[in-house]
Amino acid sequence: MSAVPAAQQRPKITRFRDSWRNGLRITSIRIVVQTAMFGLFLAFVFLNTFAQLDRLPGLRDWLSKFLEIDPLIALATALTTHTVYRGLLWSLVLLIPTLFLGRFFCGWVCPYGTLHQFVGWLLRSKPGKEDAHPNRYRPLQHVKYYILVAMLVAAVFGSVQIGLLDPICLLFRSFTAAVVPSLNTAAPALFGAPRFHQGAWLIGFILFGLVAANLVYPRFFCRVLCPLGALLGLLARFAWWRMERDPDTCGGCDRCRLHCEGACDPHAKLRKAECFVCFNCMEECPENSLRFAFFAPRAHEVAGPDLQRRKLIFAGATGLLFYPFVRTTGRVTRNFASSVIRPPGATEELEFLERCMKCGQCMKVCPTNVIQPAWFESGVEGLWTPLMNFRIGHCQLNCTACGHVCPTGAIQRLSVPQKLGLNEFATQGPLHLGTAHIDVGRCLPYSAGIPCQVCEEVCPTSPKAIHVGRRRRRRGRGWGAVEADDSPPVPVVDISLCIGCGLCERECPVVGDRRAIYVTADGETRSQGCADRDHNRSVRLPGVTPAGD
Amino acid sequence: MAEQNLTRRECLVRGAGAVLVAGVAAAGGYLLHDRRGGAAFTGDRLTDGAAAPPGLPDFFAQVDFPASSPRISVALGDEACIEQMVRTAVGGLDPARGMGRFVAPGDVVVIKPNVGFDRPPYLGATTHPEVVRCVIRLCREAKAREVIITDNPIEAPEACFAKSGIARVVAEEGARIVVPTEDRFEWVAFRPHKPDAAKGEALHQWPLFAAPLRRATKLIGIAPVKDHNLASASMALKNWYGLLGGRRNQLHQAIHEVISDLALLFSPTLVIADATRVMMRNGPTGGRITDVKPGGELGRPAVIASVDPVACDAWCYQKLLGRDPARLKYLELASAKIQAVAGGAHRFGEASWQTYERAGKITTASV
Repeated sequence: MSAVPAAQQRPKITRFRDSWRNGLRITSIRIVVQTAMFGLFLAFVFLNTFAQLDRLPGLRDWLSKFLEIDPLIALATALTTHTVYRGLLWSLVLLIPTLFLGRFFCGWVCPYGTLHQFVGWLLRSKPGKEDAHPNRYRPLQHVKYYILVAMLVAAVFGSVQIGLLDPICLLFRSFTAAVVPSLNTAAPALFGAPRFHQGAWLIGFILFGLVAANLVYPRFFCRVLCPLGALLGLLARFAWWRMERDPDTCGGCDRCRLHCEGACDPHAKLRKAECFVCFNCMEECPENSLRFAFFAPRAHEVAGPDLQRRKLIFAGATGLLFYPFVRTTGRVTRNFASSVIRPPGATEELEFLERCMKCGQCMKVCPTNVIQPAWFESGVEGLWTPLMNFRIGHCQLNCTACGHVCPTGAIQRLSVPQKLGLNEFATQGPLHLGTAHIDVGRCLPYSAGIPCQVCEEVCPTSPKAIHVGRRRRRRGRGWGAVEADDSPPVPVVDISLCIGCGLCERECPVVGDRRAIYVTADGETRSQGCADRDHNRSVRLPGVTPAGD
Repeated sequence: MAEQNLTRRECLVRGAGAVLVAGVAAAGGYLLHDRRGGAAFTGDRLTDGAAAPPGLPDFFAQVDFPASSPRISVALGDEACIEQMVRTAVGGLDPARGMGRFVAPGDVVVIKPNVGFDRPPYLGATTHPEVVRCVIRLCREAKAREVIITDNPIEAPEACFAKSGIARVVAEEGARIVVPTEDRFEWVAFRPHKPDAAKGEALHQWPLFAAPLRRATKLIGIAPVKDHNLASASMALKNWYGLLGGRRNQLHQAIHEVISDLALLFSPTLVIADATRVMMRNGPTGGRITDVKPGGELGRPAVIASVDPVACDAWCYQKLLGRDPARLKYLELASAKIQAVAGGAHRFGEASWQTYERAGKITTASV
C-alpha cells in the first residue's frame, strides 16, 4: 500500500460540514441526542432493580418507556389481545413523528442502532481508505419486511414472536441476561452480586454476533433484520421531509454514501424506507447538494420498499403456519410442562404468550434472580419468556416488582395485598404460583430418618403451609421388628396453604437437579378461571381443605 | 428544479395519508387502550367485576302439577316390555294426560340420559336405550316440536353414544343428539355468592354443557340406578353431573356438596330412574355382568318416574340398592338447600320417601 498520506493523494475538498454555515453541526447534535438516549437506556437498565423501585416508586412508570414507545410492541400485542396495554399508548409519540420525518428513530433514538453505529465507527477504515461500497443499497434489505410480515401474521393468530428480533426487546434482554451479569462477575464490588440466567451464553453471543456483523456488513441488523425498522420504513412513505439531492449541482463524487448509515442511496433516488435521517450524507457533500427538504420532488425518491408479492405471500404463509405447527404440539395446553411456573400476576398461559415480549424486564428487576429466561419448556414459542427457577431464587412474599415493569401486561400489575390475599382481597385468597411436593424417597426424615425440617422452618406463609407430622417406622428386621414412634418428624405440605413461592425448594439441603421438596405449576391461580380443562392447571376445588385439619 | 417539485395535489394527498395513518393509530390506540391493565385478572373471575354468568331456567315452572298428584310412580315389569313400563310409570303421575301433563305442544325437550361410559347397555353403566326410545316417543306424542338427547360423557362422546345403543334408537326415532364441543360450554352461576363450605355449599360458578339447555323449554333426566364408589350411588341427581365441564375431576373432592348443588341448580320437568339393570357394585363403571342385577333388590326390572328427584333417589337407594337413604349425605344436603330457597317449595326436595308413602303420593303398578 502507498505510504503517501491520504490528504496528499486527493484534492482538498470543502465539505458542507467544514463550511462556516454549519457552525453547530447537525450530526453533532445527533450524536449528543444518541449519547443521551443510550445513557437513558443504560440508566433504565441499571435502575431496574427492586431496591431502586422500592426507593423511588415513581420509576415503575419509566423503566420500560423505551419498550412502551415501540410501536411494534403496541401493534403486535394489539393484534394478539385486541387491547393496547397501559403505557403502550406512548408508542404514538414515536409513530406520529415518523409519519412526517421518516425513520429518525433508527438514526437518533434507538439505543441498539446507536450501539451498531458506534461499533461501526470504532471499526471504520482509516481516513482516505474509506469505501462507499459497503453502504450501497442491497436487495437483502428486503428481508426485514418479510420478517415483519411473518411475525405480524403469527401475531394475528395469537403467538407474539416479535420480541425475538425487536431491537428494544433484544437489547434489554441481552443486557439483563448477558451484559450486566458479565459486569457482575467481573466487578461484583461495582455492579453487585453475580446473577445467573439460563441460556445466557446464547443471548450473549447473539448480541455479540450481531454487533460484530458490522465488521463485514455495516449495520447489518438495522438494515437487514430489524422488524421495527421495517415498520417505521413502511410509515416513512408518508414523510413530509426527506433528504433531497439537487441533481443540478451534484458532482457525482459518491462521498454521500461514504458514511451513509441506512444504505438508502442518497447519491441517486433516495430510498425513503431505508433512510435513518442521520445527516451524514448532507455533511459529507462537497457541493452542498443535499438538504433535508420539505416536500421534495417525488421523481427523486423511492417511496416504499419494492417488495415482491411472491415473497410476501411466502412470508405470510410462514407466519400462518407457525401457529398451527407450534400449537398442535399441545405444549401449552394438554401436554404442558409442570415446570412452567410463571411470575406472580402472570396471565393464563395462552394469554401470556399473546403478551410476553421476552424483553427480560421482569428478570432484571427481580430481587432474588428467580425469574429465568425459558428454553422450550412452554414450547418453541416460549423461548426466553420468564420462568421461575427455585433452585436459583424464590418469590419474595412482599414483592410484585415484575408486574410493575412488564410493558405488555403479560405479568399484570398486582398490589402486595392482592398477591397475598390481604384486606379487601381476603375472600380471593393468596395467589398460588404452584404447589410444593415432597419426594419422600429423598427427603432426609422420610428416607433416612435424619432430622431436618428446613422447609418447615423457612415456609413464609402464615399459618405455615408445611407442618411436621410423626410417622411410625419399623425398627429392626425380621421377627425382632417393632413399630416405633421414635423416628424424626417429617414435613407435610398442606396444598391449600402452599402458595408455591419456592423458598422451601431453594433451601432444601438435598441438592440435586431436583430438590427433595420442589414446586410444580399444579394448582396455579392464573389458570383457575379457565373453563377449558386443557388450560386449567388447578388441582384443588376452591374452598376444600384436606381432611383431618 | 422548480418544475420537478411536488404538485399541490400530491402534497395534500401525502399529507392526508400521514394524518390518516396517525389518526387511525391514535384512535385505534385510544379505543383499544387498556389503562387499568390487561383483561380481568384470571386468578378469580368473580372479584374482578366480571358480570356474573346466568343460572339455568326452571324447567318445572311451566308444568301445572296438581298438589294431590302422586310424585313417584313405579312400574314393575321385565326387559321385554320396557316401553309399557315407561308408559305406565309416566302415566302413574297423571293417569289422564300422561306425558301431556309435562310436555306441551311446541316444546323443545332435552333428554339427558347417562351415557357416561363406552359400555354396552347390558352392563348397566348407561341408560337403557329402550327407555330413551320410549321417552322420545312420549314426547313426540305430546307434540313436542323438537327432542334433543345430550350428555357429556367421560370417554369419547361418539363412541359412548354408539356403544350404549342410544345413538341407534335416537336415529330410529328421528330425534337429534347434541355432542359436547368446546363452544357449547359456558359458565353458569350456581349461586350469587361465594360458597360457604360450612353450609355444605361447593360451587359458585362452573362451566356447564349448557348450549342445548339454552334452547330447551323442558328437561327430562333419565338416569340408570347404579352403585358409585365415591358418592355411594348414582341416580337422578348424580345424572346432572354429566353436563358439567371444566376440571370436573376436582369436584370429587366435595362430591356430596357438588351433587346437592346440582340438585339446587337443576329444576327438571321430570326425572325417570331406569332400574331395568341395576349395577349393584363396582360402580359407576362396572364392567362385569355379575355386577348387574335386574331390578336390584326389588327383584323385578322397574322404571320410576318422578317430579321430585330427591325423593326419587331416596326411594331408589332404599328399594333398589337396599341401602339407608338417611345415611346418603347428598340427599340430606340437597333437601336442605332446595327447601331453603324461597319459592323452592314447588320443587319439593323431600329427602324421605316415607313421607310420600304416608301421604299416598307413591303409586306402584305392574305391567
